[in-house]
Amino acid sequence: MAAPSYGLIATFETAPEIYHAAEQVRDAGYKNWDVIAPCPLHGLDKAMGLKRSIVPRISLAGGLTGFCTGMSLIWWTGASDYKLIVGGKPLFSPMFAFPVSYELTILFTAFATIIGMFVVNGLPRHYHPVLKYDQIKRGMDDAFFIVIEARDPRFNLANTTALLAKAGGKSIKELEA
Amino acid sequence: MSTPANSTAAPAGKALTIGLIGLAVTALAALLAPEKHGVALSYLVGVSYWTAIAIGMLLMILIHHITDASWSVVIRRQWEHGLAAFKWLFVLFLPLLILAWIKPGFVWPWMDKTYVLHGHGTVGTDILYLKKEGFLNIYTFTIMTLVFFAAWVWLSARLRKASFTQDSDGDVQWTYKNRFNSAIGLPIAALTLTFAAIYWIKSLEYHWFSTMYGVWFFANCARGALCGGVLIMVWLLNRGDYKGIINTNHFHSIGMLMLAFTVFWAYVTFSQYFLIWNANVPEETFWYNLRELNHDGSTNQWWYVGLVILFGHFVVPFCALLSYRFKVTPHIIRRIAYWTLAIILIDLCYNILPALKDEHGDSLPFLSLNLLWVLTSVIGVGGVCIWAYLKSFPTTKLIPIRDPRVGESLTHHE
Repeated sequence: MAAPSYGLIATFETAPEIYHAAEQVRDAGYKNWDVIAPCPLHGLDKAMGLKRSIVPRISLAGGLTGFCTGMSLIWWTGASDYKLIVGGKPLFSPMFAFPVSYELTILFTAFATIIGMFVVNGLPRHYHPVLKYDQIKRGMDDAFFIVIEARDPRFNLANTTALLAKAGGKSIKELEA
Repeated sequence: MSTPANSTAAPAGKALTIGLIGLAVTALAALLAPEKHGVALSYLVGVSYWTAIAIGMLLMILIHHITDASWSVVIRRQWEHGLAAFKWLFVLFLPLLILAWIKPGFVWPWMDKTYVLHGHGTVGTDILYLKKEGFLNIYTFTIMTLVFFAAWVWLSARLRKASFTQDSDGDVQWTYKNRFNSAIGLPIAALTLTFAAIYWIKSLEYHWFSTMYGVWFFANCARGALCGGVLIMVWLLNRGDYKGIINTNHFHSIGMLMLAFTVFWAYVTFSQYFLIWNANVPEETFWYNLRELNHDGSTNQWWYVGLVILFGHFVVPFCALLSYRFKVTPHIIRRIAYWTLAIILIDLCYNILPALKDEHGDSLPFLSLNLLWVLTSVIGVGGVCIWAYLKSFPTTKLIPIRDPRVGESLTHHE
């Protein structure tokens, strides 16, 4: 084929079929591939060999940044840049810096979580090659698909087609990039 | 899934024996020890510790029903067995109540109007007592304590009966009944646990003011019950009873609640400290001064206990419970539960034991013989509570098999 190919798409009719097919693709060592399903399938993440999301780590980093920002903000404004005694208290104490720090911990955690999630899942996305597939709307209704991308190092048109066929995939098509 | 009638008979007997030995040693100490006041307050620590855990279990069941929760159905039954301890906790509280009548002022100083306060007269001439006399007197104390236990025993009996009966007839009306019980039970539980904390613990320093006190106690109750729940889950999983019943997600869910209540406890406890620190009013700060400084300004042992509580009750469990892996690995979350239960005990010691003072009005140190009596009291009362739980355990099914949401609970997922 002359036109660059995005990858291969295969159709599966039932949830158990897609589940076992996903296990075979996982065991074949593919990395750049995905499942399209009209409903959440519990346990599919394991069948696909997906690890837990890294978003919690991004959240933690955001939280720590927020806490340190709060503490240093209160220290810098009250005890360094413009020394000011308020209510007979010390210039700096973690005690009164704590409410601010913990508010900023929450705020920065929330930002990091939302932004981290969008970065990791790649949304919003206005175009995806599978949208050109004429049957793709069935993926919101009654069909399941496996898409294996051509950029996967293990991708090989003949072998990958054979794998999808062996896994029970119907109407295996090549997708335009 | 069956529970052979005798599967818990041996451990129950063992728990009761250990409990009775603990109580006997505490009683002997109360009669023979030179510092009897310390023994009495240590016993108060022991009773309030286990009462807090039982109240927490009551709260968990009430919250379960009022929110129509599904994931916790298979765990709820174990909390229901835990409620069997309330009537025994009442029996174990009686010595303190009797002591209040035969030796007023021995445990709670305000019960004796001739009690000499450090530095300013007697309780009977103390304006701060006289203004509070309508609330703080031995009659209201006695009646309220009876009301607390009556409310807890009554609520427990209603919740247990509805849940246990549903096992045999499968009638959904028992679920609705328990939802009703929870709607009336939640305010009752909230008020009784708040006043119990005020009468039993906070009134040891009746000069003090804190609107956070009941909430602080509530946070410990909830944390204690969640940790107790985790210990029971891991125990039943290892024993084989829970095999195929609970999965990773049950641990994840209960671990998330533990994390939430860790933050809640920290929020409440910090607020109490921060507002008093910031306002810097002597009527309030003295309570923390007792727990930080001696009269000559030197740091006392309770300052370090406070730091242990800050790090041990918040920082350590908070960081540990952030991890998904720690929450879902039974032997790790069990370790966190043991740790938290130990610090709850230290938190109660921190709130109760500094009421023991020397001739200068300084709190007696944390490291003392009293810790031994705290230990014997906790083992004594705990043995009886665990015996009550284990005795209730074989009387019903392991899980509420005909609860309308048991299917959802068995297949609980993220």
